[in-house]
Amino acid sequence: MLLKTTVEGDMLVATIQIKEGSLQNADEFKLELISQISKGFQLVIFSFKEVEYVDSSFLGALVASLKHALSLKGDIILTDLEKNIYDLLCMIRMDKVFKIYRTTEEALAKLVMNAEKL
Amino acid sequence: MDTASSKKILLVDDNLFQLKLMEKAFLKEGYQCLKALSGNEALDILNKEQPNIIVSDFEMPGMSGFDFKEQLMSYPALKNIPFLFLTAHSDEEVMMQGLNLKAIDYIVKGTPMPVIISKVNNLLQTVKLQQQLSVEELRKAAQSLNIKSIPDHVPAVKGFNIQFWHKPFENYPGGDFIDFINVNERYTFILMGDIMGKKWKAWFFTFCFLSYIRATVRSCIYDNEFTTSGILQKINMLVSLDGVLQDILSSLSLVMIDMEENRVFYSGAGDLPLVLYNKNQSEIKQINSAGLLLGLMPDGLYDESCFEMKKGDQLLFFSDGIIDYGEQGENKSNYSLFLETITPLLGREDSFELIKENINFKQFPRVQLDDASIIFIHKN
Repeated sequence: MLLKTTVEGDMLVATIQIKEGSLQNADEFKLELISQISKGFQLVIFSFKEVEYVDSSFLGALVASLKHALSLKGDIILTDLEKNIYDLLCMIRMDKVFKIYRTTEEALAKLVMNAEKL
Repeated sequence: MDTASSKKILLVDDNLFQLKLMEKAFLKEGYQCLKALSGNEALDILNKEQPNIIVSDFEMPGMSGFDFKEQLMSYPALKNIPFLFLTAHSDEEVMMQGLNLKAIDYIVKGTPMPVIISKVNNLLQTVKLQQQLSVEELRKAAQSLNIKSIPDHVPAVKGFNIQFWHKPFENYPGGDFIDFINVNERYTFILMGDIMGKKWKAWFFTFCFLSYIRATVRSCIYDNEFTTSGILQKINMLVSLDGVLQDILSSLSLVMIDMEENRVFYSGAGDLPLVLYNKNQSEIKQINSAGLLLGLMPDGLYDESCFEMKKGDQLLFFSDGIIDYGEQGENKSNYSLFLETITPLLGREDSFELIKENINFKQFPRVQLDDASIIFIHKN
């Protein structure tokens, strides 16, 4: 319910459908995301284009999902981050653990290009 | 109870006139109103925003109020939002049907608006009081066990004046923790962290973390390990290896004061940058750290900064709840703006008092969405 998903090749693009990511929806969000990752998608592109604010509970859920993805040899990519959220992520060094792209289209183009090189 | 202005109500009615009538009345009472002409429209809104209470018409074409409430019951995050049915029925069977779905009450259509508003106010007041009573009971239990994540006082640290400010989210003990560890006459450790979550779940884990941190600091000193980065890495390893703490993440700012040399050592784990005010040059400097959140990766990439503090210099560190503010009804986080706002208050004997007094700045209309803490160190 919190995620609107589309499949692009072997990648999942998940758009978060909430304005504020907080304690109220962090657990539900984590369960939904982990369930999507567990379906076998190696890469989940996560679009924040609807999101205007996130608190530490929501960031915790996001990082816990990343840990789950990494344990399955997968990865999570973040896109369309509002400036305030991007700045916060960088400030607490989340940019070192998440791959971040400006837009979903940019992430898809980059990933397709990388796949073609292999 | 919070002021009505912080309360959000979702009004659901297929009759636009009735909907506008209710909106006008609730807006006048200071409520923020969300409106939906059908259950489906209301579900779309609830996907994005959560109100404090829902008032829904019972008889609507397509999805009835009953069906709407039934749908809400399947979502853990939505099922407990206080709910009132607005109905033309005074039929007991229909009412029982709704009450079985945990609709808290009914309002018969035609009830005067002031009565409806009183009913909503009373309901929110009752819910709030019930929550406060539960919190109070748990707080008493925690107090009797001497469990604390925020200290009662700051120990004396020779040559430094240390103070802190802490406000938990909705007055629940939450994820922020602060501690001071006087290890000997020369060194004092100061730590501030934030378990990524709120309320009781986060609060419970703060004790696990605090126990790890306190034990690790002592153990490192016993082994002659005095680098903050080395200590952080040890804490991180212990946390990462402990299955009980899987999925629990925490930020931590670890500062060691060397009272003999007037030097400060700092290492951070996913925390906000520290701020150092230099009295001589009347300027502030951000002190950044490279380390990752505790529990995120076995190697947390921790580094250490070292700086001298001279008379009049000030050092501040914050948890992330401090940088939340409201702008045109939207919530945002902005560290730079917060810093810009407090900078003119630095460099004075009463800097910390001024920051505390003005914590809800005009230029930075802070909103309390999370635990918020500040530690302030002034070099005498």
